[in-house]
Amino acid sequence: MVPVTSRTSVAILAAGAVTPLGPDLDSFWSGLLSGFDGISAIERFPVGDLRVGRGGEIKKLVIGSMPHPPACRASQLLIAAAEDLRARATLACDPARLAVVVGTALGGVGELEHAEAGDASLRRAEGALYDSPAHRLASWLRADGPVLTVSTACASGATAMGLGAELLRDDRADLVVAGGYDILCRFVMRGFDALRSLTRDRVRPFDRRRSGLLLGEGAALVLLSRDRDARGERLGRLLGHASGSDGSHIAAPDPEGRGLEFAVRAALAEAGVDGSAIDLVSAHGTATPLNDRIETAVLKRVLGRRAYDIPVNAIKGALGHTMGAAATLEAVMCLLAGRHGAVPPTFGYEEPDADCDLDYVPATARCVRPRVSLSTSLGFGGCNAALVLESEAGV
Amino acid sequence: MTHGGARIAAIGLLTGFGHGVEALPDDAEGAAAGRDVVPIATPPVTGDRFRRATRECVLGVAAVDAALRNAGLTRDDVRGSDTALVYVTAAAYGAANRTFAGAAGGPLHFPYTAPSAVPAEVAIEFGFTGSYVILIGGSTATLEALWHAASLVRRGAAARALVVAVETFAECADLYARARRLLARPLVEAAACAVIVPDAESPAWQPAAGAGPLDALARRRAGETLACGPLVALALGADGRGPAAVTGYWRGRRTGLGWPATSAI
Repeated sequence: MVPVTSRTSVAILAAGAVTPLGPDLDSFWSGLLSGFDGISAIERFPVGDLRVGRGGEIKKLVIGSMPHPPACRASQLLIAAAEDLRARATLACDPARLAVVVGTALGGVGELEHAEAGDASLRRAEGALYDSPAHRLASWLRADGPVLTVSTACASGATAMGLGAELLRDDRADLVVAGGYDILCRFVMRGFDALRSLTRDRVRPFDRRRSGLLLGEGAALVLLSRDRDARGERLGRLLGHASGSDGSHIAAPDPEGRGLEFAVRAALAEAGVDGSAIDLVSAHGTATPLNDRIETAVLKRVLGRRAYDIPVNAIKGALGHTMGAAATLEAVMCLLAGRHGAVPPTFGYEEPDADCDLDYVPATARCVRPRVSLSTSLGFGGCNAALVLESEAGV
Repeated sequence: MTHGGARIAAIGLLTGFGHGVEALPDDAEGAAAGRDVVPIATPPVTGDRFRRATRECVLGVAAVDAALRNAGLTRDDVRGSDTALVYVTAAAYGAANRTFAGAAGGPLHFPYTAPSAVPAEVAIEFGFTGSYVILIGGSTATLEALWHAASLVRRGAAARALVVAVETFAECADLYARARRLLARPLVEAAACAVIVPDAESPAWQPAAGAGPLDALARRRAGETLACGPLVALALGADGRGPAAVTGYWRGRRTGLGWPATSAI
């Protein structure tokens, strides 16, 4: 069932981010264009017993507004991203009408590690709940409106933006801070290492030699409002969003990509556009053999012949897979591509694969100005999400 | 296709006291007899597919089965992309996380540490391939889940939506003991599922200064069930005598959601 509706348009006013490429949105964007990646040897916790000890680790995290930042790293990342957002936009509204919706795959699991290691404080136990960082962010923002934590695994950042838009459409808020975050910690490194999902090579989305992902950490937030209420400059609009379940496997994507196809079709329908309107696809592109093949097949099924004419990129080679933050970072990348007239390259993509035969942007940024973008996300538990975004062109 | 609104057609409920509201005691605290945690018996499941599934997953599946029975729906009725699935929990991932963090779980256990493991097993078991949202939080998150499910049905994005909530406590009882000041006792493990279908009426957000009568009743009879609480309250309010309003309170925030009528539950 794919509805076609005409719904209240939602503006994306501004964005903030902290990533392995740097402490703010500008370093994120310039890093993507420059071709430098944020992958390094992990230093913050022991990795000597793991097959792979590299990832997109943020080496230095500064929170200017807080002399005594929270001990929880997830909360630190979120607040650092919120500081960047607040430097770019005014969050002035009735606190009861300011909502927070954030996505995460891991929540406060880093705090659980501390609790299990002997820290018996209530703070650590409470911090291990996955919704703690969102409430910490709401407190920092003095937001008294709805506070939601979404955990659709690595699609969380997209679902959070979609639910944020719903809060505006239902008049439950006037401004929504939405996005996603996740941290690198031993828990998640051990998990992916044990599943043999991590590569010892570069991350190579859609490349013939792709052999897996590397993890990263980061946070990204956008400020949403109803389009009709938006004043001044904006990054663009969220035209459509949808999520879909694979109903197939606990960890692997559905071989047919059913949940992803449902999400993409529903997001396009909600946006009121078809494939001919899409100028850019930001793919999930984990660089696992299965994911990239499935995504390619779904894009071809949904977009038809047009799929071959649309630039496709994936930025996980530059950042690592930032899990809950990934979809929001990729959505912001789409908007910035439209603003600046440049599509960042697919880091690590060099040799074509017969199963992945779309126009993946290789090596260097491409000078095109996408207006409407499609961003796709997949995650553990058969979670899929799609966003349709419209960029506000820069001058 | 859009509808005017959405209503709750049925609720399936399992708690540490047994199946359905009929199993709830008049006084959960008394029935707990001094226990901090009232565990739930893991329902029997068959099939090799469940050999690694955590008991939270099995509880989620059992709650959906109970709700479908109460709604008079078969598995074939709900299979496919017309059924939306909205899952909510405050902490049912805790046990799986602890197992893995303590290095007791092998590599294949890792995917079960994600909150998405429970709805994933539900979706696999029942063949759900439609809209899919997972919210984390206490009873306020459940109200958001009910609202979102109703919204999906109302605007035609799904023919029906299931709101599934699961809470388990036993494996993390020592962590909850640290939070004795913050959470009421007894902690009663629970799993619940509400079936949302199109209707003329719609729920509406209602300001809530304190716990409503249904919530107080649910707390008295079922104990602290975190995200399952509003579904317990709605199940208890299904007496056909008029509107049902439920409230949620979590981390200092309180909100309320009201349905014009619950007669169909």
